[in-house]
Amino acid sequence: MAGAGGPVRMKQRPISGGSLSAVELPVGAVRAVPLARPASPLTEALRRLRRSATALVGLGIVAALIGVATFADVLAPRSPTASDQAHTFARPSWDYPLGTDQLGRDMLSRLIHGSRISLAVGVSSVLLALFVGVPLGLVAGYSGGRVDTTVMRLMDLILAFPIYLLAIILMVIFTPTAGLIGTMKVTGAIAIVRIPIYARLVRGSVLSIKEKEYIEACRALGVRTPSILLGHILPNCLAPIIVTTTLGIATSIIVEATLSFLGLGTQPPTPSWGWDLKANVAFIQTYPWLSLFPGLAIFVTVLGFNLFGDGLRDALDPRLK
Amino acid sequence: MRTYILRRLLQIVPTVLMITLVVFVMMRSVPGDPVVVLLGDAYTEENAVKVREEYALDKPVLVQYGIWLGKLVRGDWGASILSGRPVLSDVLVRLPVTLELIVLSMGIALLIAVPAAIIGALRQNTWADYTATTAAMIGVSIPEFFVGILLLLVFSFSLHGFLPSSGWMYLPGTCPSMVCGVSVWGNLQHVLMPAVALGVGRAAILTRLLRASMLEVIRSEYVTTARAKGLSERPVVFKHALKNALIPTVTVMGLQVGFLIGGAIVVETLFAMPGLGTFGIDAIIARDYQQVQGFALITALAFVVINLIVDLTYTFLDPRIRYA
Repeated sequence: MAGAGGPVRMKQRPISGGSLSAVELPVGAVRAVPLARPASPLTEALRRLRRSATALVGLGIVAALIGVATFADVLAPRSPTASDQAHTFARPSWDYPLGTDQLGRDMLSRLIHGSRISLAVGVSSVLLALFVGVPLGLVAGYSGGRVDTTVMRLMDLILAFPIYLLAIILMVIFTPTAGLIGTMKVTGAIAIVRIPIYARLVRGSVLSIKEKEYIEACRALGVRTPSILLGHILPNCLAPIIVTTTLGIATSIIVEATLSFLGLGTQPPTPSWGWDLKANVAFIQTYPWLSLFPGLAIFVTVLGFNLFGDGLRDALDPRLK
Repeated sequence: MRTYILRRLLQIVPTVLMITLVVFVMMRSVPGDPVVVLLGDAYTEENAVKVREEYALDKPVLVQYGIWLGKLVRGDWGASILSGRPVLSDVLVRLPVTLELIVLSMGIALLIAVPAAIIGALRQNTWADYTATTAAMIGVSIPEFFVGILLLLVFSFSLHGFLPSSGWMYLPGTCPSMVCGVSVWGNLQHVLMPAVALGVGRAAILTRLLRASMLEVIRSEYVTTARAKGLSERPVVFKHALKNALIPTVTVMGLQVGFLIGGAIVVETLFAMPGLGTFGIDAIIARDYQQVQGFALITALAFVVINLIVDLTYTFLDPRIRYA
């Protein structure tokens, strides 16, 4: 504590200790700090994001997964679909680091290639829902009246369904198949289920933003409706959209894995984590690792997106901390 | 209050009609013909026509829906196309199994989430808080079936069948036939792992939400007042803070029903339980229209009723919320 014998300027130090703040600095030093231009909200958010350990860990996991999915052909030691009847149910070894399944297929290669399905379905289903749901919400919220009622009743109809019931029936209608088409079917089914989430979210924000004075000013100046929607309203509801999208990818990956686990996802021979789990559960007592590795892969992927989404939310909206 | 409940109960009708109609129309657009599956080797054009007539499958879809509704109001849920058994009796046999699973898993979720959230909020940024939030983060990222598989590995296979890996033991009084195992202890052994598998994810979501709303409530002025007037910490937390913090949590619990139904399907499939989840997924995959309708109906009913219960819970948690 600053005693009576201390230097004169130290007398400004507050009695309670605490952290070093402007009050504790000599008056001259405070004046010396030049007045910086206030940082833009985006720069602020990025700065907070860089300091968030959870966000960085999440981003690291996601980036690593994208790398694995992109370079799967190079990284995978073997073909994910080539079966080797001489080496069925091989234990993890130097040759087969994660063992082989009942058809003698290399588990590590299947996991590496399986990342493509999970990421592709997770990301593209959410983006598809975003590109349909956001315009619907913008138009419904801005125009109000009959358009609003019609769009939102349709959204309520989808929301009235327990999501898995709808996704499962949609997949039965689409009939699950293998390859790119099969992946697109799963993507479509999950996207349909997720559209109302965006429509509701955006409509809610639009309803409050459209009453603001600057929107009234736009209208008075004769700015056309599409420009108001895209140039003035949309940027102001971006933060919740970004957060919902990141966390939504995590949910979509779980839904995809669940559909595959029920046999309604992308069909074999296309490697998929959920399907591998389903196929190997039958041998869980003797070859537990065959079920453990795909499960762990799903878990780590979902964890990565959840961590990143959480960090992003804290960075974009510090009030929610 | 009574008129409110009555009005809400009446609102159930259009919602249930809408869900069952949409499912009806969607199932009819599924490629594949259940009659071919049903008749198998006995399939001839003649037989097929007869079966189609019997189940009114030759009529337009909306007429079929009308027939289904007409029977429904008389208490007839139709008969399964594949098994021939009446759908209602099958639903009634399977409902207690799924109900037990869901109620128990929600109980487990609350038992984990409430203490974890309170500790997390009261000791914010301590190691206890970090443990709770990290565990919750792991919990929301792990799919139900993987929790189930991990439980199977530990409790059924490593511990030499400490808990049964599949099947079911009925509670006394719920056994559908003469030949099923009935035992309270056996029932508990069978339901424990599925309920934990389903409950863990829910517990994690609730912990995160409840912790966040507890943090908000605990900083509010009325909590400061309660402390200032000399109340000890326990009534402040449980009587004043927790009740208000529970309101957004209860909303989300209601919204979680959609996920719970999906979770029940997965968990029942993994543990081979004779519940509504396996009933529904089997029917959907086999295109057993009648059975799917029964499943859609009971799911829609459950969905609407649970949301009503959620709304009524608000009045208990916050007496200022009144419905007229």
